[in-house]
Amino acid sequence: MGRLVNSLRVRLIGVMLVIITALVPPLYLGVSAIVREGYADRFVNSLRVYSRLVADELETLDEGDFDRRAVALLDSVVLSGQVVFAEISDDSRKLHSSIATPLIQGPLRDDFHFGDQGDQVYFITHTVKRGDHVLVLRLGFDEVPTAEQIAAAERRVLLAMGVFVLASMAVAVWLSWMIARPMVRLQHAAQRVAGGDTQAQLHISSSIREVQELNFHLEHMRRELVGTSERLSREIREREVSEEKRLDLERRLQHRERIATIGTLAGGVAHEFNNIMTPILLYSQLALEEVPADSAVARDLTRVIAAAHRARSLVTRILTFSREVETQQPNVFPLRAPVEEALALLRDIVPANIEIVFTAPQQPLLVRGDASVVHQVVINLCTNAYKAMGRNGGKLGVKLAAVDDPPDGQVAPGCYHLLEVSDTGHGMDKSVLAHIFEPFFTTREVGEGTGLGLAVVHGIVSSMGGAITVRSRPGHGTTFSVYLPATRAQPQTAAAGIGA
Amino acid sequence: MRRLLLIALLLCLVAPARPASQEVVLVVRADSPVTDLDSVSVRKLFLGLPVLVNGTPLHPLRNRSDPLLDEIFLQQVVAMSQSSYDRQMLIGVNRQLSLRPTEYRRVADVIAALSADPEAVSFMWSRDVGHNPRLRVIRVLWAD
Repeated sequence: MGRLVNSLRVRLIGVMLVIITALVPPLYLGVSAIVREGYADRFVNSLRVYSRLVADELETLDEGDFDRRAVALLDSVVLSGQVVFAEISDDSRKLHSSIATPLIQGPLRDDFHFGDQGDQVYFITHTVKRGDHVLVLRLGFDEVPTAEQIAAAERRVLLAMGVFVLASMAVAVWLSWMIARPMVRLQHAAQRVAGGDTQAQLHISSSIREVQELNFHLEHMRRELVGTSERLSREIREREVSEEKRLDLERRLQHRERIATIGTLAGGVAHEFNNIMTPILLYSQLALEEVPADSAVARDLTRVIAAAHRARSLVTRILTFSREVETQQPNVFPLRAPVEEALALLRDIVPANIEIVFTAPQQPLLVRGDASVVHQVVINLCTNAYKAMGRNGGKLGVKLAAVDDPPDGQVAPGCYHLLEVSDTGHGMDKSVLAHIFEPFFTTREVGEGTGLGLAVVHGIVSSMGGAITVRSRPGHGTTFSVYLPATRAQPQTAAAGIGA
Repeated sequence: MRRLLLIALLLCLVAPARPASQEVVLVVRADSPVTDLDSVSVRKLFLGLPVLVNGTPLHPLRNRSDPLLDEIFLQQVVAMSQSSYDRQMLIGVNRQLSLRPTEYRRVADVIAALSADPEAVSFMWSRDVGHNPRLRVIRVLWAD
C-alpha cells in the first residue's frame, strides 16, 4: 500500500484530485451565484420597467369610465403571462383584474429582491397620482418560471462541472502517465545497470526538459561508473599479474640461491675430495708398476685406480655444476655444430622406437662459450628425454631458434639463441620440477643415475650467461628451453668442433 | 455590495418593525419653483437626463441613507435593477448626455443640500421631512 501511495503516478493523480476537489465546489457555487443573480436581476429589472409603464399608463388614463378602463388594463397586464396579481386601490375601493386567480392574496409588503418572502410572487406597489387623487397599483409577478430557469441553469452548470471534473481527471491521469512513464523507464534502466548490466543505456525519450536533463546526467554518471569499474578491474588484474610475477621471481631467486648454496657446498667438498683422490690415484699407479701384472695385487690396484677415475669423474661433474671447472677460453661458435655432433652420438644409443626430430634455421646461431659444454648439455638433456619415454618410445625433439625477448617471462629480455629439447614422456609434477636442478636429486632407481645431469646443465648454462626453463605436465611430456645469449662476433674456425 | 445591501435589508426586516405606515416622498426646498413632477419626469431626472422648470435644470440628489430607501428608489423611481441603473448611468455619462445624481449617505446632508439649492430635488422618508419648514413635499413616491 505504501509503495502504491509513494508512486509518482498515484501522487500526481492524488494532487490533481485534491486540487479539483478544492476548486470545484467554490467554482460551482460561484458560477451558480452568478447565474442566479443574472436571472434574478433580469427578472427584477423587467418587472420594474413593466410595472412602471403600467403605472404611467394608469396615471394618464382618461377619467371617463375609469373603472372599466382600469380593469381592462389590469386584464391585459395579467394576460401578459407574468402577472398573477393585479389590483388598483384607493381609500374607498379596490379594483382587481377579472381573470386574476383568487388564490393569490394581496401582498403584505413589497418585494425588493427575487425570492423575497418565499411566496414565489414578486409584489410591487406603485402610487399613481391622478390629479389630487392618489391610487395604489399593486402587481404580483410569478417568480416560478424564473426560478425554474435558474434551477435548469444550475443543473447545466452542475453538468458542466461534472464534465469538467471527468475531463480534469482524464487530463490528470494522462499527465501523470506522461510524466511518470519516462521516470519508470529510467528506473528500470537503472535497475538493469545496478543488476550488473553496465552496458544498458540509460536512454529515454521525453519532451520534458527536466527529465531529459536527468536522463543525460544519469547516463553520464553510468559511463563514469562503468569506466571507474573497468579501470579498477584492470588495475586489480595488473596487480594480480604483478604479484604473480613477484612471487615467481622470488621463488626463482630462492631456487637459484639454493642451487648456488648447494653448488658452493658441493664444490668445496668436491675440491677437497679431488685433493684426496690425487695421491690415491698417483700412489695406486706407482704401486701397480711395482707389482707383477698378473698378480692379485695388480688386479686389486687396477680396481682401485678405476674407482679413483670414476671418483674423479664425479668430482669433475660436481665442479662443473658448481662452476668451478676451468673451461677453455670462450670462443664464438655456431650453436648448430655441437648439437649435431651430440645428436649423431645419441642416434647410436637411443632406442629405435624413439624418433629424433631436429630442426634448426639456416642462418648460423652464434653464441660465445665452450662448444664442448654445449655438447654435454645436449647429451644430458636428450639422455633424460629418451629415458623418460622409456620402452613406449615417442618423439624426441631438438630445436634451435633465434628468440628475442623470451615469451614466458622467466628469462630477462634480450636476444637469445634457443636450444629446445622436448619429449613425449611421462612428464613431471610440480613437486619434482621444484628440485630437478638440485644436485643428486633423481627420480630413478638407485644405481641408475647420479642426479647430477640437470645440475650440470644448469651450471653450464648459467656459466654461459644463459638461462634454462622447463615446462612439464604429468603424461604430457617435458620441454627444456635453454636460452644462450646471442652474439654478433664472428666465429673462430677452430672453435666449431668439440675437440678444438 | 448587493449582498451587503441584502444583509442590511434582512437586518432591517428582523429589526423592530418600522411604523405601520410609512411613505417615501419627493421633496424640494420650500421656495423651489418646482410645484409638481410626474413620474416620467422624476424618472428622467434621476436617470441624469435634463428636466427643466422655468428654463432652469433641476438637480437630482440621491438619498442613500437607508438600504430600503435605496431599493425603493430603484423600484419606484427609476424602475430598474441596480445593475441596469448603473449601466444606464454609465452609458449616459459616457455619451455626455446625463449627469450622475449627487449621492448622500446621511439624511442631514440631503436636507442641507436641498436647503442650499432651490433647483435640487430629492426623496426621503416622510418622517424625515416631518415639519421641516425648509422642505416641501411635492409627491408621494411609495406608500406601505
